[in-house]
Amino acid sequence: MKRRALSMLLVASMAGTLLAGCGGDSKDAGADANADGGADNAAVAGDAAAGTEAAGGADAGAADAGAADGEAVTLKWAIWDQETTPYWGALKDAYEAKNPNVTIEMVDLGSADYMTVLATELSGSDTDFDVVTIKDVPGYATLVQKNTLESLDSYIADAGINLADFNGVTDQVTVDGSLYELPFRSDYWLVFYNKDVFDAAGVAYPTNDMTMEDYDALARQLTDTTYGSQVYGCHYHTWRSAVELFGTLDGQHSVLDGTYEWMAPYYDMILSEEDDGVCQSYTDLSTEGLHYSAAFSNGNVAMLNMGSWFIATLIANIDSGEYDSALCGNWGIASYPHPEGGEAGSTIATITGLSVTSASQHKDQAFDFVNFVSGDEGATIMAGTGNFPAKMTDNVIDIISGMAGFPTDESSKEALNITNAYLEVPYAENVSEINSVLDTYHTAIMNREVTVEEGIASMNEEVGKILGN
Amino acid sequence: MNDEKAKKIEQLEAEMARLWEESQNETDIKKKQKLIAKRNTLQRKYVAIRYNRKISRETKKDLVAYSFIAPNFIGFAVFTLIPIVFAFILAFTEWDGNNPIQFVGVSNFAQLPGDTFFVAALKNTIIYCIGTVPLTMIVSLALAIVLNQKVKGRGFFRTISFFPYVASLVAITTVWSMIFHPTKGPFNYLLMAVFGVDQKSLPNWFSGSLVMLTLILFSVWKYMGYYMVIYLAGLQGISAELYEAGSLDGATTWQKFRYITWPQLRSTTFFVVVMLTINCFKVYDIAIMLAGGSDGNLSNSASVLVYYIYQNAFDYWKLGYASAVAMVLFVLVLVVTLIQFAYEKKLEA
Amino acid sequence: MSSQTIKQKKEASIKRNNFIKKFFLYLILLILTVAMLVPFIWMLSASIKSDREVFQMTPFVLIPEVPKWSNYVDIWTKIPFGTFVKNTVFLTIIVTALQLLTSSFAAYSFAKLEFKHKNLLFMAYIATIAMPWQVYMVPQFIMMRKMGLNDKLLAIICLQAFSAFGVFMMRQFYDGIPNELCEAARVDGMSEYMIYSRIMLPLSKPALSTLTIFTFVATWNDYLGPLIYLKSQEKKTIQLGLKMFIGQYSSQYGLIMAGSVLSLIPVLAVFICLQRYFVEGVASTGLKG
Repeated sequence: MKRRALSMLLVASMAGTLLAGCGGDSKDAGADANADGGADNAAVAGDAAAGTEAAGGADAGAADAGAADGEAVTLKWAIWDQETTPYWGALKDAYEAKNPNVTIEMVDLGSADYMTVLATELSGSDTDFDVVTIKDVPGYATLVQKNTLESLDSYIADAGINLADFNGVTDQVTVDGSLYELPFRSDYWLVFYNKDVFDAAGVAYPTNDMTMEDYDALARQLTDTTYGSQVYGCHYHTWRSAVELFGTLDGQHSVLDGTYEWMAPYYDMILSEEDDGVCQSYTDLSTEGLHYSAAFSNGNVAMLNMGSWFIATLIANIDSGEYDSALCGNWGIASYPHPEGGEAGSTIATITGLSVTSASQHKDQAFDFVNFVSGDEGATIMAGTGNFPAKMTDNVIDIISGMAGFPTDESSKEALNITNAYLEVPYAENVSEINSVLDTYHTAIMNREVTVEEGIASMNEEVGKILGN
Repeated sequence: MNDEKAKKIEQLEAEMARLWEESQNETDIKKKQKLIAKRNTLQRKYVAIRYNRKISRETKKDLVAYSFIAPNFIGFAVFTLIPIVFAFILAFTEWDGNNPIQFVGVSNFAQLPGDTFFVAALKNTIIYCIGTVPLTMIVSLALAIVLNQKVKGRGFFRTISFFPYVASLVAITTVWSMIFHPTKGPFNYLLMAVFGVDQKSLPNWFSGSLVMLTLILFSVWKYMGYYMVIYLAGLQGISAELYEAGSLDGATTWQKFRYITWPQLRSTTFFVVVMLTINCFKVYDIAIMLAGGSDGNLSNSASVLVYYIYQNAFDYWKLGYASAVAMVLFVLVLVVTLIQFAYEKKLEA
Repeated sequence: MSSQTIKQKKEASIKRNNFIKKFFLYLILLILTVAMLVPFIWMLSASIKSDREVFQMTPFVLIPEVPKWSNYVDIWTKIPFGTFVKNTVFLTIIVTALQLLTSSFAAYSFAKLEFKHKNLLFMAYIATIAMPWQVYMVPQFIMMRKMGLNDKLLAIICLQAFSAFGVFMMRQFYDGIPNELCEAARVDGMSEYMIYSRIMLPLSKPALSTLTIFTFVATWNDYLGPLIYLKSQEKKTIQLGLKMFIGQYSSQYGLIMAGSVLSLIPVLAVFICLQRYFVEGVASTGLKG
């Protein structure tokens, strides 16, 4: 029923597009409806609607165009997971309400291989996307090098945007002095913990100024290795970021360095935790492909290091009953642990941005949308859905920590304040290849195919080759 | 009818008769077919001259034949032949799929030997083939021989041995990774409970040194039913008289196999080995699904050539380099197939 | 010692030999059955268990006390499983039909007709059988995208429906049918099209069944092709959907197994329906070499 309603909505919105006398010919519009709505009946109905509207839509179109100020424009926008991500629709609706002559058409490319899919879509310069969402920096690098994105410098200057509002993250994705995306969402890593597990063990909750040693000791304290009723002090997802990036918190290192000895202490720490049953082993997790949310919602993990996006997921899934609230309903968050000598509240960040394609026919309008989403209005909408906008203010923290389902203790709210944010991956020309190399040896080290020293030596050598090229 | 024409017709008739006779006496099938084909060509000429056809019947016949081929061939040419030609060209270029193509000569190939990841993938692919090809062949032959006997429930056994082939990889690899799960799986549980293997030293089937073994065993398990059927068909082509003669001479079971079954199955074995080799070099999905974890990353202990092609093409957008690796794959398959052909020829002679 | 006793002894030894032979035969068959069926039994059993029961070993039960049949209901709502099934069924049927039709059509020409460049064209087919698809998947992808087939089900149809293997297989089969049959029909004034449809096609049931099984299995279970070409959710096939589902609901083993069981049913059904022609089909198509 929901799907059907969606289809109808799409058909309606598409008919509206034609009514306004813009967009491609009827055949294109039909195909687009198909791509969006999915259900076959949408495509059929869409074609039919397109046919009739195209025939009799001329007067109506003229009337409509007269009503709106400016020319009617449709912007095609690439996104992922439309059904499970509430903010796409909210951003679209808000912008369309403000700009009645603009229609935003969302195309869901799925989250699994989003950047790969997007790169294939934009290849060959014959794309009809106007605005694309940039999910990660390696994908961004690929698109910039393929000359598929428009430099935003002149637009930013014209619009008088102050890049300082983005806490410096835009510097880390600047390519040869030019910026090709504006971030609208930013996430940073936190420690999620299960209060029930702490209570059962009679251990105090983690504080926001934990050092790595405190964190490790705490995890060990909570661990119970009794077969059949294991409790894991901490949990690391199979991502490389969950392990290596502890090493970047001192602000001295990044994954682009080319030498990686600084990762060694953290590999040693986590492998030893695996040996002692403090966390589930990497091989187990990767064999069953266990998702971190499944691990945490099982109720036997005390602490999980994960990005702030998990806040919205947790709230929504506990609310819907997807996760058993008896097992994980009583959770809290703490700041990321920091290395000795580092500053408390330092964490790793990721950004999600919007770009304008160089093939777009409506670049000005497209940038206006990008500016809206990444600006103050967009930020408020993002926070309202429990997500962190790239433009962080106190107001945003209040909105998020005030959401129903957010932990009520002060400490969890405080944890949202960060002091330093280092990007998981800053921009570099060969960042996708460097990432793959690091992934390969991360897998090898965690699978214990090589020792930490051997793995790091190989990383140094192979990344050295890429950087030397 | 003028004289010249009559003479020509006479000549053709004589030639045709001669060819017909020759073809009837010829025992070698291939030679016989050649003779018949020759005769058919003459016949077409003959008919054309005799009945004064201007648009020869030959052309018409060609058109009919092409009309049969066209539906398949057009699709085949567009979606297979042209991309293959394109792939050859691409291997000598640098291209990211968007910016202009640059020809770089053989530099893609020159990079290959120094590429750690390529070498690892190549090595694993070869190990996988060396393990899988003979093992699958032996197991499927043994199975075919057993299932060619008169046993109760033969149909049932034949059907179930084909199950793994029919089952989808995604589903069945998930089951395997559950059964062989390093800490929770029933297989390791058996090792622990029945064979007393220490919990700490339970084998890890999906990474490290064991992963290639797991891939090989899985692939044998999955595909043996398929090759079993081919062997079964081969076995049914062996005449029972040969075995009867063998029994009369007092041959043992082993001798019957050694001197009757095996030589008679030579061409079947050839076919099985060639198909197996080709399919083994193409290995990708099995590796990704059994050893790739949730993110589909293969470490150097499990990486295979097709994975590396995919990574270069769709992650790095180095399409030229991906094509160069693909060419290596093609040449490998070609060389191995040609060696097998040559060996088969030698045996035949 | 009469010759009688020797004969008796010999008979006894033959009997014993036979017994041992039978014993080993059935032992092999038993091992085979276990090796082949255990994963499937595990799958069925896990599909009606709750997540906690799946890995429970002490004691291991095949059918839990309270079978969780809801797994088979939930799978349809947790992910758009219906859409995946619809896409896969659509693709498989179209591809199989096209494959059977065009291959047998072309194969008839290669086997029974004489025409210019016949050998050259057939060589082109043979050569590509030895060419792994992955060798040209990249250029093929670029070409398809230029043709606007990216993220279209049509791409998979184009990819799968014109395989060289099908033509090769059917030609081998038609080669085995005596030429005299066609000659006689030609003398009777039948056109080639009629010979194909009235004489050849009815004869090729075993070969067509075999090709159906091969094509059906290959298309139904294909993973890499759809992975590259089908991006949007509503175009995905069962294999992609299952893989996605496993990624999202990784610890819900019962549900994953229920999805897996459902994905197997159609292929198994097709196989069991056609299998009586199967060995005959393989034998007569000369696939055995």
